[in-house]
Amino acid sequence: MDKVAHVNPDDLEKEALAAASEARSLTALSEVRVRYLGRQSVLKLALREVRDRDTGMTLNAVRETVESALATREAELARAELEERLATERVDVTLPAQLLGPPKLRPRGTLHPSTLVRRDVEDIFLGLGYEIVDGREVETTRYNFDALGFPDWHPTRSPRASLFLDDETLLRTETSPAQIHKMEERRPPIYMVSIGRVYRRDTIDATHFPIFHQYEGLAIDKGITLADLKGTLLHVMRELYGPEREVRFRTHYFPFTEPSMEPDVSCFNCGGAGCPVCKHSGWIEMGGSGMVDPYLYEFVGWGPEEYSGFAFGMGIERTAQLRYGISGIRPFWDNDLRFLRQFR
Amino acid sequence: MRIPLSWLREYVRVDASAQEIAAALSISTAEVNGVHRVGLPGELGLFRVGHVLEAEKHPDADRLQLTSVDVGEDRPYSIVCGAWNFGAGAKVAVALPGATLPNGLTLERRKLRGQMSEGMILAEDELDLGADHSGIIVLDDALEAGTPLADVLPLVDEVLDLEATGNRADLFAVYGVAREVAALLDGELLPMPGTDPQRDGEEPVGIAIEDPAGCLRFIGRLFRDVTVGESPLWLKARLRHAGVRTISNVVDVTNYVMLALGSPLHAYDLDLLRGGLVARRARKGEKVRTLDGVERTLSAEDLVIADGERAVGLAGIMGGEETEVSATTTNVLLEAANFEPVGILRSSERHALRTEGSNRWEKGVDPHVAGPAATYATQLIVELGGARWTGAEDVQTELPEPEVIRLRPERASELMGLDVAEAEQGEILGRIGFDQVRQGFRVPTWRARDVTREVDLVEEVARFKLPEIPFTLPRRDAMFGRLTRAQRLRRLVEEALVGAGYAEAYTPTFVAEGDLRLPEPLSAEAAALRTVIYASLLEPARRNSDAGEDDVALFEIARVYREVGADLPEEHWHAAGIADGGFAEAKWAVEQIYSALGLEPAYERTNEPFLHPGKAARTGEGWLGELHPALLDGVWGVFELDLDALAEAGPQVVAFEEVSPYPEVRQDLAFVVDEDVPSAEIFAAIREAAGGLLRELEVFDEYRNPETIGEGKRSLAFRLAFGSLEGTLTDEDVAPVRASIVDALATRFDAVLRA
Ligand SMILES: [Zn+2]
Repeated sequence: MDKVAHVNPDDLEKEALAAASEARSLTALSEVRVRYLGRQSVLKLALREVRDRDTGMTLNAVRETVESALATREAELARAELEERLATERVDVTLPAQLLGPPKLRPRGTLHPSTLVRRDVEDIFLGLGYEIVDGREVETTRYNFDALGFPDWHPTRSPRASLFLDDETLLRTETSPAQIHKMEERRPPIYMVSIGRVYRRDTIDATHFPIFHQYEGLAIDKGITLADLKGTLLHVMRELYGPEREVRFRTHYFPFTEPSMEPDVSCFNCGGAGCPVCKHSGWIEMGGSGMVDPYLYEFVGWGPEEYSGFAFGMGIERTAQLRYGISGIRPFWDNDLRFLRQFR
Repeated sequence: MRIPLSWLREYVRVDASAQEIAAALSISTAEVNGVHRVGLPGELGLFRVGHVLEAEKHPDADRLQLTSVDVGEDRPYSIVCGAWNFGAGAKVAVALPGATLPNGLTLERRKLRGQMSEGMILAEDELDLGADHSGIIVLDDALEAGTPLADVLPLVDEVLDLEATGNRADLFAVYGVAREVAALLDGELLPMPGTDPQRDGEEPVGIAIEDPAGCLRFIGRLFRDVTVGESPLWLKARLRHAGVRTISNVVDVTNYVMLALGSPLHAYDLDLLRGGLVARRARKGEKVRTLDGVERTLSAEDLVIADGERAVGLAGIMGGEETEVSATTTNVLLEAANFEPVGILRSSERHALRTEGSNRWEKGVDPHVAGPAATYATQLIVELGGARWTGAEDVQTELPEPEVIRLRPERASELMGLDVAEAEQGEILGRIGFDQVRQGFRVPTWRARDVTREVDLVEEVARFKLPEIPFTLPRRDAMFGRLTRAQRLRRLVEEALVGAGYAEAYTPTFVAEGDLRLPEPLSAEAAALRTVIYASLLEPARRNSDAGEDDVALFEIARVYREVGADLPEEHWHAAGIADGGFAEAKWAVEQIYSALGLEPAYERTNEPFLHPGKAARTGEGWLGELHPALLDGVWGVFELDLDALAEAGPQVVAFEEVSPYPEVRQDLAFVVDEDVPSAEIFAAIREAAGGLLRELEVFDEYRNPETIGEGKRSLAFRLAFGSLEGTLTDEDVAPVRASIVDALATRFDAVLRA
């Protein structure tokens, strides 16, 4: 009783904090804890005895301060003890892994479904004589918008739609800037596919993610026609979705093609009769396409009619979704091994 | 845009079903997402005009009427009804037993408070024609009992859900779509609706354009003695089927005409305006409370409509609350204007306010259609509101002249890959309003914004010929496809890691912190571009491990970004991986990668804050190690390599060595050395000392035992193979080589040969 009555909260706090910072090991620190916060500690006894509110609040504040100091010190000591232990563990990093482990014998791993699609797309176009271009992901507005004929008012130019680093730099919103770079690099014939990550400001939900992958084709040569675009996409779609597929084209609008069209593929699930996969239309939308707008030729300093060409763009994830029946976008980014391991 | 078919057919005579119209529009004009039936779902024959023969209070229910109704059958039907806005003699809308209402309810004969009721007398909400439920529909007295109700009221319709693209403002109007349908399906386009009624007065309106860049045209019309009330059923049904809320006859007319012709309109309560209207930029800090009840502080770039004293609306986007037409309005000022698109788009973005009006203006509405819109609205306000039209003004800036564009028919055929005769091309263009003149084709005013060049005309022809264009391949004579060295290397690395048991992961480009920050981050965790890949793999590794997975090995190949002070950051392809099990796992994976590329890297001890200090190594192209245990529970091996650097390091050609036909001599040598001499250094020293006869060398054992070999020592065992192209080697041939190896190691490392 006497002891408790004489507690001076300030002194107690000072003393406890000093003891905590002086503890040199976790063992020593746990002794400090028992001494100042244990069941028989002066503070605990005082808290049990206290009757008036003010003293209670003061003592509680002391308890909290001491507890947090102990926790901080504990983390410091734990880290120091860990580092000390790690310092004694050394291996000869130049030894072969077999002598170091040996490493685990693991069953064969897997490629991501998007990579499987990417490789198929690459191989199909390699077969058609196209080159595969990766391009860069951080682009200037000049190549991402101006060169591609995006009008000033186009919503994609807004920071609400796209991911800017500054006024003139952004993460590409499509892989087409790589095509402009190629056109600046050399004259036709150009047959290329650019593949890779593209970005937009999307809130993540079941069907949206701010990153996705596209493949975009460009063919520029003398005498390229809209019929060539139709024939090329028919071949590609049949390679990807099966030899019985039909392709139809619908008029559309895109800034850098004129005329512009959206290709649809006959539904491989129902053969065109209508089902949930094709939203009962018999056709599945694939992306965008069209004849290269002469504006692009002028942008890179060619005559508007020296060449003609076509361009098209499709989604890698969408292709994978359709091929494997994956719904939503989350599985592509969750990296759940139970999902990934199915793609052998 | 939702387009009721009955409405469309008012403007185009065409022999085609809704499905045929939808299919043709989808291919050549704009996608139709579906054709939906609206209104009554079932049999229409059970909906009739009824003649109320008797009506009296229900004997056992004060709020019900008991009626006897002639529905065209051989006897009257008795129907119990809850409405009182009619009596004997009225013509009403009746649904007979068996009829199904839009809400799915199928009527039956049933007793209501003891009285048989055979069907239902209908209110407009029960037919999905409007929202009113205050009383039943009272029909025209002249109608015959038993007449099918569908002949009298718009009970069903088909609605096209058309998704027009942003370049075609003309398709945000029923009439614009009718124009396309007529051209596509060989129909007859009827004249635009609306004729000006007789003007009843010459009142000045007081219209001014102060900002001709933002407002190209401003028509104001005055109406007196307007009766604001409910719209007639046909109008309500049209708006409802088009997906627009009905409000009052005057407001409904402005919406109806906007949907019909594509030019938005606005009606003001004239008595609440202080003076005439002007289109001007807002004053800095000026405020207006818009119809949605929000008080908006305007910027000097916002275009407003103002009266003599204040802004009364955000031009083209939304009118002001203070001057809106209400039930007590008797005098109306109608605005039919034309606004410049980009300004409307910016204001609409600035105020986060998108409306049917702004949606049209931002695409560019034909200024010539403001006239017909004003006319049609005038006709309807006079007809439906009993109003007198007392004043009109049309203030115009200089409207652009329609352009004439030359079209070379052979150029069009060339681009399409299909020969289309000149006459047919002209005919197609003529059908959609492009008149052929001497120098080419005159662009109709409603297409002035998106058709400006020859190639645009080619598109107009092509979209009509799309299904006929054949499938061909480019006639190429010089195109060669091959993966680049970097791309082949990526595939090799993928294969090596998959072979080592790794599953490929895809993780986001973004991290919480870094030099390359997004000024507007996606989230706190996605605020900058990453400079390393491995860190993004920790979370997936943890999650898989937490899910009970005991064999976790993940890799990713992706770009990293480094700020280098240039306009654009440097981008490099990296490969990174993580696997449960510690340093040997990382080492194994990295060895697999290098060996797949035919490279033998030098491993050096390194120190990174995220790696175990004693189990971390660096190669020329990256690093590997055991993950620092403070970062993730468990023991993990991690690595990250720069693939661009690897591509540079890799041998361009294989250095082939001839294979000897003579057997090799094999020897195992074990040396005791100080613990901290790296095996790789001994390895290199052996190779150097062995000279030209050495064919193979590997380290195959590591051994420690303080009692036999001493404290701080270890024994490393090497397997050597010697051979020669000259002949079979003997032990005597190899002995001097072996001696020089032992010597060299003794000198350099104090190594002692054990066996
Ligand atoms: Zn289907």
